[in-house]
Amino acid sequence: MKIEDILKQVNDIFIDTLDNDQVIITEATTANDVEEWDSLTHIQLVVAIEKHFKIRFTSKEIQSWNNVGEMLTCIQEKGV
Amino acid sequence: MIFKLDDTFDKLFIVSPEIYAGFIKLFKDENPLHTDENFAKTKGFKGRVMHGNILHGFISYFIGECLPVKNVIIHSQKIEFKNAVYINDELHFKAVITGIYESVNTVEFKYYFENATSSIVAKGQIQIGLLN
Repeated sequence: MKIEDILKQVNDIFIDTLDNDQVIITEATTANDVEEWDSLTHIQLVVAIEKHFKIRFTSKEIQSWNNVGEMLTCIQEKGV
Repeated sequence: MIFKLDDTFDKLFIVSPEIYAGFIKLFKDENPLHTDENFAKTKGFKGRVMHGNILHGFISYFIGECLPVKNVIIHSQKIEFKNAVYINDELHFKAVITGIYESVNTVEFKYYFENATSSIVAKGQIQIGLLN
């Protein structure tokens, strides 16, 4: 799947998980850019993304991400 | 990870008069459906309907006291009420692990409460985190 397509699906997951239909994420987005993206919603986002794409991350992978783009690349590298 | 997919847990709970009275004393919900036998019967129930959120208390006990580890925190719990619960009902609680997300130390359960006549009175999902 192209990164743009993964981004669109991940954006929908953010909207649903954060209960905010105004959220627009880009590859450059970080947790500091989204008010509702705190430590607990971060867990909910990871769980929702793992469920949606039927993948599993490692804690090391998650800790390595500096922005949404790096997360999207990680998703893509899992064969999505 | 100490938990595995499909691990199951069972527990018997009783909605005792002490729990019922304690819930009312603490939360002040004295709606007649819960406190007036005649009112409840006119609404089609066998008697006073126990507060559904007493079951949330049982879930809290299950997560906090019945799992093999204590370093747990509830992220979320959802419940659907299916049938009324009455005082002194014995409820068989069964939970099964349906999701493990090791990257964020998170475990999901599906659960149900069944009464003595094998009717499901409530069911739902719980998500917990394992604290480092």
